[in-house]
Amino acid sequence: MKTVEKAKLDGFLGQLAQKYSVLVPVDYNGLTQFAPYSQVQEGVSKLYLDGNVTVSPKTVYLPQSEAMYKFRAQGKKLAIEEMPAMDKQQVVFGVRHCDTKAIQCLDKVFLDEKFEDPQYKDKRDNTIVFSLACNNPKATCFCESMGVDRAHAEASVADVQVYDFGDTYGFVAISDKGKACLDAVSGLGEAADKLPEQKPQSNKFDPSGLPAKLAGMFEDPIWDEYSFKCLNCGTCTYVCPTCHCFDINNKIRGEVGMKMRTWDSCMFGEYTLMAGGHQPRVGKKERVRNRFLHKLQYFNEKHDMFLCIGCGRCVAKCPVNLDITKFAKQVIG
Amino acid sequence: MKVASASDVNKLNNLVPKVGVIKEILDETPDVKTFRISTPEGERPFTPMPGQLGMYSMPAVGEAMFSVTNYGEDYIDMSIKKYNDGVLTSVLHGLEAGQEVGIRGPYGNGFPIEQFKGKDIVFVAGGIGLAPVRSLILYCMRNREDFGKLTIIYGGRSKEDLCFKEDLFENWPKVPNTEVFVTIDRPQEGWDGHVGFVPDYVKEIAPNAQIAAVCGPPILIKLTLPILSQMGLPDEEIITTLELRMKCGIGKCGRCNIGSSYVCLDGPVFSQAQLNNMPKEY
Repeated sequence: MKTVEKAKLDGFLGQLAQKYSVLVPVDYNGLTQFAPYSQVQEGVSKLYLDGNVTVSPKTVYLPQSEAMYKFRAQGKKLAIEEMPAMDKQQVVFGVRHCDTKAIQCLDKVFLDEKFEDPQYKDKRDNTIVFSLACNNPKATCFCESMGVDRAHAEASVADVQVYDFGDTYGFVAISDKGKACLDAVSGLGEAADKLPEQKPQSNKFDPSGLPAKLAGMFEDPIWDEYSFKCLNCGTCTYVCPTCHCFDINNKIRGEVGMKMRTWDSCMFGEYTLMAGGHQPRVGKKERVRNRFLHKLQYFNEKHDMFLCIGCGRCVAKCPVNLDITKFAKQVIG
Repeated sequence: MKVASASDVNKLNNLVPKVGVIKEILDETPDVKTFRISTPEGERPFTPMPGQLGMYSMPAVGEAMFSVTNYGEDYIDMSIKKYNDGVLTSVLHGLEAGQEVGIRGPYGNGFPIEQFKGKDIVFVAGGIGLAPVRSLILYCMRNREDFGKLTIIYGGRSKEDLCFKEDLFENWPKVPNTEVFVTIDRPQEGWDGHVGFVPDYVKEIAPNAQIAAVCGPPILIKLTLPILSQMGLPDEEIITTLELRMKCGIGKCGRCNIGSSYVCLDGPVFSQAQLNNMPKEY
């Protein structure tokens, strides 16, 4: 494997930035998210590689808000213009294994055969993912239970495997894109392939029986129990790396407008409210049930995988400690 | 801003509409209008199967899914009911011919045509619910030899509220081996036809059909499906359509799911047998 000393990481990222747009995990006074490496600025923000970011890297492929097309509506005339494609490849450095698995989930939605999403695909095709293995899982992490390989990043998403060896990072190319990227950087060391020491994960369960069991639990009283304290705040859906629901709305200046897609949340009433007033999911019980079932049953029925990768963000960030792992364990029994 | 013409628009991005032109607007009832839409080049915007849907938009206002009730060589027809609290439908009802609009589709599964072939069919609809069913009725009439007897049972609140009156009273009764029954909810001056609700009328007529297509307001669907079951139709042969809020139309934005099915993608057409296996959340 190739190696770089941590003290020289800036030089490494700087070299990459000459050829690619580089996104890195950044800490803005406690808010952590992926941002351009060029924006890391002493006193304002810093590179954050000690833990996973709060705002997941789904922002790279499905931004919180994204222009879909421009239009000009002038009297009876209408003109529509699509957004330009990416003009440069980008590198995303430090995506955790759970989040690469999450992108595999998003691929099922946005790269389906019948209605492939060109804006999503453009970003997938032009992004090189450096995926960093976690050595120290948090108490809220349960990625192993959800099928994440902690030693090897999801190969359909990651282009370069990154390991943390304390003073150095080790790089192993996974894809040709990743290899070309590593080849473009000079001054890297060489070392024999090996794995770092990884501390075990404490939050563990076997979810394999969940889809079948949940299929018979739509009317179960467990939904009253688990939705009782929910605030319908939507935090879980925004921090979730696999939640992909979006709204479509407008930004209009006079005759010219921009059609935007923005993250939406199944926790909100307007999400399903119809013109005429019909509301199929009237309250929080119905909304919590839909979210949990989408994660642990519905997505499985369609795509044969869970729509939860065990990052633990929703568990860590929920203001009322609604815990999907506690729910899963109770259902498993 | 560089302004692209319709032909420049990348047809592969399903979320970006094509430009369509309203060729004609037909008044069906006081609150239903049919919009006849072509491309600026005078072509049919897309070719739907019966029961399929289209996204119709005024980009500055909004976008919503409607069934395509009919199409011709160079147009598609969408019949739209105006809701007073419906922002888009109110604007659409104020438009004039020549207006350019956004159009994309076709979406959804449509009616299972093969399953209808060779069978005696009863079509049951109420109000604007005739719009999707009509696409199937017209298909059956255009391919008349492929289908058995056609029985159409339709109702509206009043005689003014009946959609597609020319089809109901002029065109369809002339089609061979076809019967049309029309009812209105309450007695009305100048109406000498049947009075009463559609589900009761279905019971009264008791059509001898092997398959049924039902569409209308939720209460009509709810009350009609058990009657069709009592008439001996198996759940697989009772076909209806569902409607939920949609944004993308292609199974990505999330909101129109019922269990693991998306109404926009896996529907809007479902059989009673399919509904039996889905959560009652619609």
